[in-house]
Amino acid sequence: MKQLNIMNLLPDSGHTEFRVQENTKRRVSMINGDLVGNSSTNVSGVCARSFKDGVWGHSSVGEVSEDAAREVINASRENAAFLASRAAKDGVKIASVTKSGIALPEVPSPAGVPADRVEFLRALDALIVRICPKLTSRNLVLFEEGIEKDLSVTDGVSGHTAMRRSYVYTFLTAEGTDAGEAAGQPQELFRAFGGLGTFEENFGDPAELADGITEIYNQLMDKCSGKYADAGVKTVVLDGNLAGMLAHEAVGHTVEADLVLGGSVAARCLDKVVASPLVSMVDFAHTAFGEVCPLPVYLDDEGTPAEDCVLIENGILKEYMNSRESAAHFGMAPRGNARAYGFADEPLIRMRNTAVLPGHDKLADMIASVDDGYYLINTGNGQADTTGEFMFGITMGYEIKHGKLGRAILDTTISGVAFEMLKTVDMVSDSVKWESSGYCGKKQPMPVGLGGPDLKCLVSIGGR
Amino acid sequence: MTDIKKAVERVLSHVAAEGNIKAYVGTSASETKEFNVDGGTFSLMRTVFGSAVSLTVIEDGKRGSMGINRLDDEALDSLVTDTLAIARAGQSDPAFDIAPFVEARTFTAGCTECDTEKLFDRTKELLDTITARHPKIIMEQMIISHKKTHRAYGNSNGTRFETHKGVYSVDLMFSAHDGDKSTSFFGSGVVTDSLERPFIELGSIERDLSDVEAQLDPGTVDGKFVGTLLLPPGCLGEFLGDIAGTFADDMPLLEGTSVWKDSLGKVVADPRVNIRIDPTDPAVVCGESYTSEGFVSEGYDFIKNGVLESFTLSLYAANKTGLERAKNGSFSLIVGAGDTSLDEIIAGIDRGIIVGRFSGGQPAASGEFSGVAKNSFEIVNGKITRPLSETMISGNLADILKNVRAISSERICDGASVLPYMAFDGVTVSGK
Repeated sequence: MKQLNIMNLLPDSGHTEFRVQENTKRRVSMINGDLVGNSSTNVSGVCARSFKDGVWGHSSVGEVSEDAAREVINASRENAAFLASRAAKDGVKIASVTKSGIALPEVPSPAGVPADRVEFLRALDALIVRICPKLTSRNLVLFEEGIEKDLSVTDGVSGHTAMRRSYVYTFLTAEGTDAGEAAGQPQELFRAFGGLGTFEENFGDPAELADGITEIYNQLMDKCSGKYADAGVKTVVLDGNLAGMLAHEAVGHTVEADLVLGGSVAARCLDKVVASPLVSMVDFAHTAFGEVCPLPVYLDDEGTPAEDCVLIENGILKEYMNSRESAAHFGMAPRGNARAYGFADEPLIRMRNTAVLPGHDKLADMIASVDDGYYLINTGNGQADTTGEFMFGITMGYEIKHGKLGRAILDTTISGVAFEMLKTVDMVSDSVKWESSGYCGKKQPMPVGLGGPDLKCLVSIGGR
Repeated sequence: MTDIKKAVERVLSHVAAEGNIKAYVGTSASETKEFNVDGGTFSLMRTVFGSAVSLTVIEDGKRGSMGINRLDDEALDSLVTDTLAIARAGQSDPAFDIAPFVEARTFTAGCTECDTEKLFDRTKELLDTITARHPKIIMEQMIISHKKTHRAYGNSNGTRFETHKGVYSVDLMFSAHDGDKSTSFFGSGVVTDSLERPFIELGSIERDLSDVEAQLDPGTVDGKFVGTLLLPPGCLGEFLGDIAGTFADDMPLLEGTSVWKDSLGKVVADPRVNIRIDPTDPAVVCGESYTSEGFVSEGYDFIKNGVLESFTLSLYAANKTGLERAKNGSFSLIVGAGDTSLDEIIAGIDRGIIVGRFSGGQPAASGEFSGVAKNSFEIVNGKITRPLSETMISGNLADILKNVRAISSERICDGASVLPYMAFDGVTVSGK
């Protein structure tokens, strides 16, 4: 990505951010062996955002040059002035940030010879046909994304950062059997393989995915003989994958400061008990449990160095995720949560790598402790609400009867009110799973990491 | 300012120089002005100058696509090279194709010049009106914008299109609060080509605000029951989107998982159900003018008198499956009105639920859905009794289309679609 040295174009006072950014994507998709999609996008440009009398002005253009920089910086100041002349707000400030001692990792150069992505999918498809004989359909998507930014800020940390991630999504479909309650109906299961890094760093021989494919195929076969869940409030063991979704949807969104100001339930819960004392939750910046997070953030788009934000500590709500403006409003420290997706976007308060912290229990013991409930393993999507009510779709799970796993269940949905449900958590496993393949939705999409241990709790489950 | 039409010609001539290759390219230049309100007060004014070029090539039956946002000659030439490389790494499929030659057309729609002062004034007016009429509403976010777009398109069969369009968009997200009580958030909005009328008068904005304020003291359902689901226009549109995505779009037909795959020309819904997909309808503001393959967009019947008249397929999926392609690539819904008023529909429901917003998992390939009934009201013995919270609904999308109880005579137009209220029997409603 082209970088510009424009610090001399920034005003001497006040707060202005200038960003050069490039987003790249590559997508190859195959349905039942047919290559149905093979595309790439590369979008770059510059933007600036300026603060004046309690309001902001922003401008962007799809060109990377000194002229473009000058244009957007001036336009952002004009827009701020336009809005300030009509809707200025007294007493609105921006929190200051530490400007020294920040070490950003080097941005890696592009890889050498690119691997043949189509051939990889072809070989993977052939492998699936061989080891999953009862499928009626298979859908494979290879997806890669790169986001590179160069930020210059008048009163914060400037820096050059980059993130690259790559995944292979596998969607397997088979027909419901007569042994199940959905005989003849298509049943689907999905898994994403991959994570942080380029395709060449994450994927080599497709055969390396065989164990994971076999695992979801076996689960799909169970699901094809599955039954509908019983609707109502049930004891469940949530797999670590789902605990991450819970952290993100049930708690994370409600403690984003813009949603707090928009009326979220968390506005009344600071320093109060919102969960069982077994529950702690952190929005990690770049390092968790001694390892790099799924999608590390070192510097946000307001010039704030990124550090961890402890959301819940031993059941007590401790902090919101902030921008520099909301941090000043709430008297909290900004911790690097203000991020923009594309070059044309302004920074919004976003999560980074949100996780429930592990406990001390073992999954086997957690399942054995349930007389009548469910072990829920996989989810496809979720949503939060102002009221604290959360929802997420369940695409794989099993009954638990008298401490043992029983029949698989068909697709369903679970919901609950976060700060009530979290108080029912009475067991937390000692290992963490991470997931990072999707996007969080708000005004802009954003790649995020979600993680957690297995949790035992009460939720409402939809069914027949 | 780069000439986007010249960009089309440059790209296509470079592709032609590489051989007998099918191709289509679209270019655009846009300007957006936007005001944001966050937490009830103005927060941001934004201007975005955008450009885009998207090229698809088909060489020896191999297809590749690439998109960039630069219009300079160096970038355009690299686009051709890189897109051809993507295609050449692919796999041949005779189903990949482009539209045949169509006479050149220019399409103009909407309001291409933004009156920035008036846009600010209408935005402030909306905020002030909501504050005055609906004091319990907190506006979490309001995004009001004008976008002007100039597009150029060409394909290797000689088709050339050009569009000049401009549209105002109003998007609101809000909830109601009273002391410690709060409702679910709700979204409402419109697209319009004029600032003549106050925004509060457009679409269902006023009604949506009133409904949300009435949801402050919800009850919960004990146990579960099977009853009638009444969907307001906005939520009906979401459900119809799920129906198309599960039964009629490219993916379920290509995968072979659609339960409608053998149902063309057959009854899939109650005979009173009529759904057109028509971006050219006068009620649709700045609808789609042409498809990416190069067909001029035309309206079509998706479901007529309950019969499935068309899938919603792209040219590729149509060629692959042997079915007809959809006559446009949009989802501009024009749903026929019924003959029963909304009040009469409610009066005829023994036990049911009005769901303003549905929050659920992706429907299963079979059409099974379950999720949370947000912004909802209970109906008992023909009357709306109370708002509900912590309530889930579940059912099957294919089944409910056949179990339509009633369609309202009233319809809402939000500039993107025209939709009535629709009531469906046989839905499970469960609470705590």
